[in-house]
Amino acid sequence: MVEFITVVYLIYSFIAFYFLFLFLLIYFQNKQEFFSYPKPDRDYELTMVIPCYNGEGAIGGTIQGLVDAGYRGLKKIIVVDDCSKDNSYKIMKEYEKKYPELVKVVQTPKNTGNAAGAKNYGAKFADTELIGFTDDDSFIEKGSIDKMVGFFNDEKVGSVTCSVLVHNRKKFIEKLQSIEYKVIKFSRKLLEFVDSIYVTPGPLGIFRKSAFDKVGGFDVNNLAEDIEITWHLQAEGYKVKMSVPARAYSVAPSKINAWVKQRNRWNIGGLQTISKYNNDWFRKGMLGNFILPFFVFSWVVGLFGLGVFVYRILRLTILNFVSTKLSVEAQTAVLRFSDINLVPNVLIFLGVTVFFLSFTYTIMALLNMSEKSHYRRENFFTVGFYMLFYLLAYPIILIISGYKFLKGDRKWGR
Amino acid sequence: MLNNKKRVFWEALFLTVVVFLFGVLIGISFESNKVEQIRQYYSFSEASIMDVFAVNNLVDTESANCSILESANFEFADGIYEEAIILEKYEDSGKITEGMVLEHKKYDLLRTLLWINDIKTEKKCGKNYHTVVYLYEYQPDDLAQRATQNVWSKILTDLKTEYGNEVLLIPIAVDSDLVSLNSLTDKYSIQEYPVLIVDDEIIVDELSSVEDIGGLIN
Repeated sequence: MVEFITVVYLIYSFIAFYFLFLFLLIYFQNKQEFFSYPKPDRDYELTMVIPCYNGEGAIGGTIQGLVDAGYRGLKKIIVVDDCSKDNSYKIMKEYEKKYPELVKVVQTPKNTGNAAGAKNYGAKFADTELIGFTDDDSFIEKGSIDKMVGFFNDEKVGSVTCSVLVHNRKKFIEKLQSIEYKVIKFSRKLLEFVDSIYVTPGPLGIFRKSAFDKVGGFDVNNLAEDIEITWHLQAEGYKVKMSVPARAYSVAPSKINAWVKQRNRWNIGGLQTISKYNNDWFRKGMLGNFILPFFVFSWVVGLFGLGVFVYRILRLTILNFVSTKLSVEAQTAVLRFSDINLVPNVLIFLGVTVFFLSFTYTIMALLNMSEKSHYRRENFFTVGFYMLFYLLAYPIILIISGYKFLKGDRKWGR
Repeated sequence: MLNNKKRVFWEALFLTVVVFLFGVLIGISFESNKVEQIRQYYSFSEASIMDVFAVNNLVDTESANCSILESANFEFADGIYEEAIILEKYEDSGKITEGMVLEHKKYDLLRTLLWINDIKTEKKCGKNYHTVVYLYEYQPDDLAQRATQNVWSKILTDLKTEYGNEVLLIPIAVDSDLVSLNSLTDKYSIQEYPVLIVDDEIIVDELSSVEDIGGLIN
């Protein structure tokens, strides 16, 4: 009989092949439309909301970036101070003075504890057809909003997202995240072609105000409110679109701790969203037919795969440790050249094929869009490290997040 | 609308099934080739053991002498030892097909026949060399046993390198369910594997260095 572990390897290879082929097919079938965006058939009025908590370092640049984005229909920028303890409020007020017609600073009565609360608070001051949100440390590229609003020509579109890229790319961990964001951005656009965008990320998302109100705004109990609202819109029958040429740059975590904290928040938020929409399996269009199963499946595959991997590594380590100890005791060689088995097998063949397909996919995602020259291209070593090690950390974070979720730890962590 | 979107999911599934089956078929064909290669080796070895048995019968009729029989035994043992190393590597890389397991069992039978022939040789000719039979379990689950067997096989390789034709080494997997092998091992009342049987008398059930085993055979 074929060994259990071989069956596991074969199933994982099959899954990997399936998703790689799915994404590649979607890309090649929709390549012509990848960068296209509709021209707005009218001037959409827009209010932008910036939630801010202790963001003195970047809030000024974020406000200025929005002003400079140059969107003609931008009526108001609502900057929400969520009772910051630093100088954020003072900086906001300076911008309000500088752009009195455009910038309005408001303050929550008490700290809401998460971005969703501050966003919802700011949304109360918006009375335009569209409402947009950006984080207090995000920078919107000039002309980006113009490239997004045209999607609202279709009445069924509830929200539009853009390419979210990493602003800070000096440290190694930042470079890795830059690659990751580009791959996510590429994949997200591909998912749009099958109506399966699952998140309108915080750095820049524009919503039809009526749709935003219909779903009751952001879920303040969810740690990933940008995922939840997107699922909610999908559940209500709205479409979610993405404009690839529109770009927002976000400040990525520069330290491992902050990175783990951020990933935990995303994962726990994802779990909260899964449990909230758990009754929608195979219902409500692509939400129940693809997004929900895809999320749950990713968790199962990630955790089970990590379990098998750890079990194998542990067994191998114990075996090698005992063998080495016994070899030393018996005064024989610990390792011989003849012990190395260079005979290939079908699992290696499948594994290598999956790796090269994944590598090709990553390279496609990286080369897909040119950037300004001051953002240097990723080098081969960073891409290799990203593929061989960085991605392996995902399932480990999943375990930590799963544990925190079960423990009821739902802190925003700011 | 949903059906249109769904088409690409089915297309991807179809493509995956085709590529995956193609990959698995290549794997099966690759493994089958290796099994076929081992079968060819086995056929030659099978002919060789028949030849060794024939020499044994000739010694009865005094058409051949004991030194020819001894060297036939060693030649055969060395041949199947080399093949066993190849077999082990192919076994490790055989993931889908079961062919190698059967080939391993057939080789265990050949080694048992060699052991029987060696016993007969001793009765007829006496002995100018030492016989070391290594009895182990085929792919045990227990990690400690697996580690012990790994180290035993290295020690025995060293032993063979050091003593050359002074030692006839016969490694046999005991869980091949061979009636002849079970009959041979019954008399030793062995409780746990792996063990070494030196010159059909001394049982070594604890890992020992080449030096220690050398001490036993000298």
